[in-house]
Amino acid sequence: MNLQKAAFLLMGVYFGFVLCRTGVSDFRLIYGFFTGINFTLAGVMGVAIATAFAGMRILKVKNKTLQGEPLKIDYKGLHRLSLLGAAIFGLGWGMTGSCPGTVLVQLGEGKIPVLFTFAGLGTGTWLYAFLLEKRK
Amino acid sequence: MMEHTIFNVIFVERWQWWAGGIALGLTVPLFYLFFNTALGVSTGYGNLVKIALHPKKLRWFNSEKFSDVWNWRFFFMAGIITGGFLSSILSGEFSLKFFMDEFTGFIQMPFTVSFFYMFFGGLLLGLGSRIAGGCTSGHSIHGISQLHFPSIIITIFFILFGAAGANIVRLIFTGRGI
Repeated sequence: MNLQKAAFLLMGVYFGFVLCRTGVSDFRLIYGFFTGINFTLAGVMGVAIATAFAGMRILKVKNKTLQGEPLKIDYKGLHRLSLLGAAIFGLGWGMTGSCPGTVLVQLGEGKIPVLFTFAGLGTGTWLYAFLLEKRK
Repeated sequence: MMEHTIFNVIFVERWQWWAGGIALGLTVPLFYLFFNTALGVSTGYGNLVKIALHPKKLRWFNSEKFSDVWNWRFFFMAGIITGGFLSSILSGEFSLKFFMDEFTGFIQMPFTVSFFYMFFGGLLLGLGSRIAGGCTSGHSIHGISQLHFPSIIITIFFILFGAAGANIVRLIFTGRGI
C-alpha cells in the first residue's frame, strides 16, 4: 500500500467518523428531515457546503495543490436522464434512510439491515452498467 | 450528567450540527489540496462490483475509471467503514442492531421481508446515483459548493423525492400522511 492510498484510507476514517459523530448516519435524523420533524440534516449540509465553498475560495487564490499542480475542478453536467436518476436516488434515500456514504458508516456501526442496502447499491450499480450495454 | 471532558466532547457526545458541518465541508478543499480530485463516494461501488463479479461483458466496467479497482476509491470507502466503527466503539454505542428505528420500526413486516425492502431501496440508490452522475457527497456537498447548476437542481430532486419516498412508505404502512 503506497502513501497516497494510506492517506485516502485516513481521509475515509475522518469522513466516516465525522458523519457518525454528527448523527448523519442516524436513521431518526434522516426520517425527521424527510417528515419535517427535525432539520438538523439541513443545517449540517448547509454549513458543510458553506465551509467547502470558503475553503475552495482560499485554495483557488494560489490555485495549487500540495504537489504544485493547478486545481482540476470536477464538473458534473446535466444530461437527458439526470433528473430521472436523481428522482430514483431520492426514493431510495427516503426508503432506506441511507445514502452511498452513510451506508458504509452504518455498516461500521453494526447496523445489520444496512448489509442489504449495501448489496442493493452494488446491484443497482451493476444494473446501470447492464442497461447502458443494452442501450448501445 | 456526563462530564464535559475533551474526550467526551469529541468521542462520546453528539457533535453540534455546525461543528459537524464544518468538519464535513473541509473534506472538499482537503481532497483537492492533497489529491487534486473531487470528493465522491458512489462511483466506488463500481470498484466493489468489479472486484466481486468481474463483469467482463459490460463495457462500463472496462472504462478507464475502473482500470485499477484498488485505487483511492476503494481505500476511501474502507476508511469510511472504519471511521463509523471507531466512532461507535469509542462512544460505547457499538452493537449489532437488527432494527432501524423509524425506518422499519413502524413498518409491520417480517424481519426477512424488511431485508427485501432494504435491498430494493439500495438498488434505487445505486441505479439513481449512477444515472444522476453522483450522490449526496459528489453533487450535494462538492457540486453545490462550487455553485454548479446541475448539482443544485439534482440535489433539489434528491430531497423532494427523498421526502416523497419516506412519506409514501409511511402512508402505505401506517395510513398516516404528512
